[in-house]
Amino acid sequence: MALDILDLVVESRTDFGKGAARRARREGYIPAVLYGHGEEPRHLLLPRHEGFLALRNSNQLLRLVEGDSKEMALPKDIQRNPLKDEIKHVDLIIVRRGERVTVDVPVEVTGEVAPEHTYVLDVNSVPVEADALDLPDHVTIDLTDRKAGEHVYAPDVILPAGVNLDLDEEYLIATVDLVIEQDLGEDTDEEANGEVPTVAEEDAEKE
Amino acid sequence: MLIPRRVKYRKQHRPGRKGMAKGGTEVSFGEWGLQATGRAYVTNRQIEAARIAMTRYIKRGGHVWINIFPDRPLTKKPAEVRMGSGKGSPEFWVANIKPGRVMFELSGVSDEVAREALRLAAHKLPLKARIVRREGGE
Repeated sequence: MALDILDLVVESRTDFGKGAARRARREGYIPAVLYGHGEEPRHLLLPRHEGFLALRNSNQLLRLVEGDSKEMALPKDIQRNPLKDEIKHVDLIIVRRGERVTVDVPVEVTGEVAPEHTYVLDVNSVPVEADALDLPDHVTIDLTDRKAGEHVYAPDVILPAGVNLDLDEEYLIATVDLVIEQDLGEDTDEEANGEVPTVAEEDAEKE
Repeated sequence: MLIPRRVKYRKQHRPGRKGMAKGGTEVSFGEWGLQATGRAYVTNRQIEAARIAMTRYIKRGGHVWINIFPDRPLTKKPAEVRMGSGKGSPEFWVANIKPGRVMFELSGVSDEVAREALRLAAHKLPLKARIVRREGGE
């Protein structure tokens, strides 16, 4: 399902550097930069709450409104604080109507693998090429009744119409394997802090 | 038990405890992760205890990733020894964990099982941690 375009009222930024960026964050803004299509980079301030809500999806198409000018943009890179869930800075890239762009979209799994089997996703997201105005929010792979050794490669990914996968045909997406007994750790009374040889000791031993 | 195969020097300075995790702050392999919100030296015994707590709870079917490795030796002087006479002998192998680091990851189990397994694992560690889900996960 394609995502809607979200309007975001932005302001131009004239102060730069970490001090100015921190001041902007304290005042309730997210520092951002907008570039692409050979244009001069523009430094912006996004409203923090609206920006946070808009960027919950990392491929959200935005319409940046600054006075009378409007510009469509996609998030290129989002810097987050790993603990506070707040956005520190956003790189936005200009997109035009009808342009095809490459973005990473998450892989979703449908169906259940065969009994006594399990799967591991080798990649959580895959790069896809699609119309900028019609980006998918995910792609799917079907693992119904897959058995051990039946790997899922790039051509097995189910894509919406008009979307191409930007990967080699032999690119591994998921592996299916038999459920293995976990090492429950009954017999783990091994040496925890034994002597570890140094590189010099090993070299001396070899000589 | 996790332990380096060989090292360049037997004794090191104590690892620095300032700052936030520089990398490994997102769930990269599994569906669920255990993210440190505090800082600590996590020993290989604690890592093993957390892994065992998790795998005993999920029993079969899940996949566990350990994203940290105890690659720093800590030394200790024997009890009732006067100061001086050089540095003590290596006693522990620790991973230097800073806030934000995703230490364990888990996939292939239901949400309830994953949460409980990671909660049990967190109780084996000497720091505060929270359960996080992969970005873009269902």
